[in-house]
Amino acid sequence: MADLGNQPSGSDGPDSSIAVMLAAADDLEGLSDKPKTFGRLAFERFIHHKLAIVGAAGLMLIIAAFFIGPILSDFEVDDYDVLNRLAGPTKAHWFGTDEIGRDLFVRTAEGGQLSIRIGFVAAGLATAFGTVMGAVAGYFGKAVDAIISQVINLILVVPALIVLSVFALKFGSTWWKLAMVLAALLWTRIARIVRGVVLSLKEQEFVMAARAAGASHRRIIFRHILPNVIGVIAVEITLLVGTVIVLESTLSFLGLGVKPPETSLGLLVADAKGNIDNDPLRVLTPGIMIVLIVLCVNFLGDGLRDALDPRSKSERG
Amino acid sequence: MSTPLLKVDNLTVGFPSKSGLVSAVTDVSFELFPGEVLSVVGESGSGKSVTALAIMRLHPRSAQITGSVQFDGRDLLTIDDDEMRAIRGRDVAMIFQDPMTALNPVFSVGAQIVEAIRVHNDVSKQAAQKRAIDLLDLVGVPEPRRRASQFPHEYSGGMRQRAMIAMAISNDPKLLIADEPTTALDVTVQAQVMEVLHDVQKATGTAIMLITHDLGLVAGSADRVQVMYASRLMETGSIDEIFYESRNPYTQALIDSIPDLDGNKEDLASIPGNPPSLLNPPSGCPFRPRCSMAVERCAEATPELIHIANSHASRCHRADDMASAAAGTPS
Amino acid sequence: MLAYIIRRLLVTIPLLMIALYLVHVGVSTTTDPRSTFILCLPLCQDGYDQITEVYNLDQSVWIRPFSWFGSAIRGDFGESNSIGGPVGEILWERGKNTAMIAIPAFVIGSIVALLLAVYSARHQYTFGDYFFTGLAFFGFAFPSFVMALLLQNIFGVQFENWFGVKPFNTGRKTGENFFELVRDVTLPVTSLMILGIAADSRFGRSSMLETLNQDYIRTARAKGLPERTIVWKHALRNALIPLVTLWALNLSALLGGAVVTESIFSWPGLGPAFLTALAKPDLDLLLGFVMLTGTIVVVFNLIADIMYGILDPRIRFD
Repeated sequence: MADLGNQPSGSDGPDSSIAVMLAAADDLEGLSDKPKTFGRLAFERFIHHKLAIVGAAGLMLIIAAFFIGPILSDFEVDDYDVLNRLAGPTKAHWFGTDEIGRDLFVRTAEGGQLSIRIGFVAAGLATAFGTVMGAVAGYFGKAVDAIISQVINLILVVPALIVLSVFALKFGSTWWKLAMVLAALLWTRIARIVRGVVLSLKEQEFVMAARAAGASHRRIIFRHILPNVIGVIAVEITLLVGTVIVLESTLSFLGLGVKPPETSLGLLVADAKGNIDNDPLRVLTPGIMIVLIVLCVNFLGDGLRDALDPRSKSERG
Repeated sequence: MSTPLLKVDNLTVGFPSKSGLVSAVTDVSFELFPGEVLSVVGESGSGKSVTALAIMRLHPRSAQITGSVQFDGRDLLTIDDDEMRAIRGRDVAMIFQDPMTALNPVFSVGAQIVEAIRVHNDVSKQAAQKRAIDLLDLVGVPEPRRRASQFPHEYSGGMRQRAMIAMAISNDPKLLIADEPTTALDVTVQAQVMEVLHDVQKATGTAIMLITHDLGLVAGSADRVQVMYASRLMETGSIDEIFYESRNPYTQALIDSIPDLDGNKEDLASIPGNPPSLLNPPSGCPFRPRCSMAVERCAEATPELIHIANSHASRCHRADDMASAAAGTPS
Repeated sequence: MLAYIIRRLLVTIPLLMIALYLVHVGVSTTTDPRSTFILCLPLCQDGYDQITEVYNLDQSVWIRPFSWFGSAIRGDFGESNSIGGPVGEILWERGKNTAMIAIPAFVIGSIVALLLAVYSARHQYTFGDYFFTGLAFFGFAFPSFVMALLLQNIFGVQFENWFGVKPFNTGRKTGENFFELVRDVTLPVTSLMILGIAADSRFGRSSMLETLNQDYIRTARAKGLPERTIVWKHALRNALIPLVTLWALNLSALLGGAVVTESIFSWPGLGPAFLTALAKPDLDLLLGFVMLTGTIVVVFNLIADIMYGILDPRIRFD
């Protein structure tokens, strides 16, 4: 039978042929000799994602403010000036002072530094561990997968904040210990996602083709599966930073996270809470800082998702 | 000639894209008569499916459509949404390529057929259920009463397509559009489903517009054929006219590329080149770059659809030349 | 259907037991009710020994859960040494209050999120869609305590005549006036809802979008069904399926968020009790609390699983 169709059977039918037409039309624009690499295409998509650029720029600005700001100021974190306590914003003290006269701008910057540091460290640790566990579970399946999955289920039984509260109190005395406690809980989320991706990749035909061609497990994992996972990981790690910062600041606010003499944004909010009726701005400032950081990080994550996985339906066209 | 059931005039469908307007269907005109089986043949991207969707007004919102689609005394492109909804599923019905995904997985097959009936008819649920079971029986679904309460994932591919057909004919439509109904099915099942369509057509007298890329399917079931390429209608005619007296190089090339099972062991004939970009179509005839009979004139002007005889028409500058050459018969 | 439910139960119950066991061990290892006594030994040896006995602290950490289970089955959850009274009663009384804000937050939040999701999916790329997308991003970025403080300040101090902040040191306004109750819970419920609405509406939107692109929606249109029926019957049923899994996560987050929200609004729920128990440490109350939340989450996961089976017939048959 004469078969003219070069269209794969199944799925979308006419709508997908329209999509093919439009995609072909779009590609014609940049017709060049060398096909663009995946990295270059991803980079271009990222640049075009306006919010991601805003997020990236915002984040860099904030980090610069937190780390460089205190250098520009005359005050140290611990300098107190009791005579000048509870002052509003002035030329000397940009954010005002607290109960014992410490400069709030410097303290906010310090707190911000710590929050960001904890955010990245915890996210990094959680991602590293979670990726390995997830990949192992997804790739080797069966018993290994069952064990790891059940461990994950067990860890997730009690609500996150509650588990963290219990463990942070005992184990989280310094900032990096706190980061480790956070990572110990949050690796589960990454593991689940990576496991899902690896599972679906494993079944896809290009893996079977590689096996048929005689590739070893190691080669398959590194050359075929991992590149596809990296995209997902990059997205998740940025979102995880946001999650960590929110959790850490909540814990610190409750008095269960970062403790004096160290300070974090959450702790600063708690400090200011007592006087909220008279001086709401002092509460809002570190609070808004948290919001801004998380917003920027989420924008970045959204842009990454758009850049690295164009098939997923992104909100912005 | 009786009055046509469907008369499409100068239908053009364009999709805006970042680089310009992609013309998926360009200036297509044809008629379809009551009770006949018209087959629309073409490669992927030829515009055959988009034509069908445009007739049903199921196209994406971004599409720009001009022309007219006369059905039952009305121009389907200009009537309002409510009127069109009343026509869909009742006067004109459509079945799609992939039965796996065309049925809603969370509702039983029977319920979906009942829904199709009750949206157009004021009947009781029991009456509609009875009719649904009768329909399933008509299309050859075994144990229709039990099967009606099952879910799509419990049906095989062929059965699902039969159920789709049952749903489509539930309101005795005047026209049934079948968009590649067998492409996603196994070969043996294909034959069964085509037979169901054949039986249904005999029983109800419904006109069928059969869209396919499979010429073999066409030979066995259609009354008339029209061939589309790169958004244009290239040739139209009866089965005999198309298969034995083709006046269009593209059609002829398609027929020639049918593998010869009992002839000598030759190389498989194929058409060199690729279908053109619909964004920047070549000047003149769209098939020119791949046509073995192309002359200078073919690049200068797009040929018109020339009437040849009876129902036969071809869009080719060299249609007359092909008549003088001995038209090859597929052996 | 019944077979499916039974299968899920058989998987869930052992999981719950193991989880509770591990939770007990976890809490026991991280808290030591004798911590204050260590300093005053050997003078307070009696007190030290007493506590050791009450909490079976001389038993191995791995054995203690069983004594807890033994008592728990008989309804004895121990005594609270921070708030005072039997733990069971405290959990019940406080639990009712927490339910009073958690349940409305969950129900209203889910419904609002669903409506937003459907709206956004149907009006993709319009101003309304972008607006709600922006709101969702903000919802994600606000930690619950910042949101709660913000609400409290705006509606407390700034809108004095609208919503006063109600301190709940001695309980609610007597008389069980429903209107007053609504006034009391509005702020806590709102601050709890925000994150859930943000998450659910984003997820629901993409689920709806994906569903609306499916072939069977095109079939439904080809049948001549009105758009209303297509969206609310055909599309929503399918879009809800993955959303159900999110609901279980939501509840978990709600219970955690309640801790913060309740302490800010001085709402006498489980949250402040937890914090107090943590500080002391009040081992029995702590254990009771953590076990309760764990059980609720597991049960809710089970309900979500069952709903999944109800919504998606394909799942029921394996």
